[in-house]
Amino acid sequence: MDSNKDIEQLLENYWNCETSLEEEQTLRNFFHGSSVPASMKETAELFRFFEAEKSNTLHESFEPAVTKELRKRQGGKIVAMVSFTNIARIAAGILVVVVATYFIRQEVRKSYPKEIQDTYTDPQLAFEETKKALMMISNTFGKAKHEAGKIKMFNDAEKKIQTKGTDKSNI
Amino acid sequence: MNLETFQNRVYPVKNKLFRFAFRLLGSSDDAEDVVQEVLIKVWNGRDQLDGIQNIEAWCMRVTKNLSLDRLRQQQRRPTDSIDKGSQVHYSALSPHDLVETTENMKRIGELMAVLPEKQRHVMHLRDVEGYSYQEISEILEIDMSQVKVNLFRARNAVREKLLKTNAYGLK
Repeated sequence: MDSNKDIEQLLENYWNCETSLEEEQTLRNFFHGSSVPASMKETAELFRFFEAEKSNTLHESFEPAVTKELRKRQGGKIVAMVSFTNIARIAAGILVVVVATYFIRQEVRKSYPKEIQDTYTDPQLAFEETKKALMMISNTFGKAKHEAGKIKMFNDAEKKIQTKGTDKSNI
Repeated sequence: MNLETFQNRVYPVKNKLFRFAFRLLGSSDDAEDVVQEVLIKVWNGRDQLDGIQNIEAWCMRVTKNLSLDRLRQQQRRPTDSIDKGSQVHYSALSPHDLVETTENMKRIGELMAVLPEKQRHVMHLRDVEGYSYQEISEILEIDMSQVKVNLFRARNAVREKLLKTNAYGLK
């Protein structure tokens, strides 16, 4: 079917990695036969080696053993259940934290004094509250100004003493 | 995916996985363990298999990765018993030729075993298993150009050694 010349050309392409899988199969078929020219003996050995490699297979008992192992693992739903349980645990933990936070917040709100509560719904009451707050700030500011005046008096007195002390030393 | 579908789609490649693992590890027992590990891994991740275009190439890649992991753990060279897997079954050969061919194939096995790792893997995947360049590129996670370069070097290195051996009887 394949003349030696064609095979030689195919071989040349094979060494240069220019053959397709089909052409390489043609070479395998050629070298599998007994009519291989002596000039191609060493190449035939190489191709026979490749063919012989394919006879290296797993033992027959391998497949049933693996199947048995896979069947055991087919109950993979157990794994899924385990992960579901873990997720449920985490969710329960988060729920407890959220509920606890809600109740603590409610308790804290109850303990707040009434006057601090919002007055947004009644404009008149809001105005009164704002006025009260501003008055409180104003009073506090007035007290602070008075106290600051006392500090200024001390500073002035200190400066006078220092000036007198300097005059005496100059004399 | 049920077990039957899994058996139909994945089991047929088990011997290719085994030979590749054997090529990488150099031990039948280790190669068998790796294939079992691969099949279990693929089975556990069977829900994602529909999204994989080429399951065979993917399984081969998992085999490569697990074999290399095992090799790293063992810290030993993979060429210890690389030549013991191949056996010859050629009815076309005479008993004398059969003995000679067996010897020669052992020699070729040794020639291949001393090739650089990448060249050895590429040559195995192309010349023994018949994968396309694209598939080899996916399995070994390297560029197509690297696949071709490594295959070219591997084929020519083996050819050169074969020619020398036959011409001068050197080993």
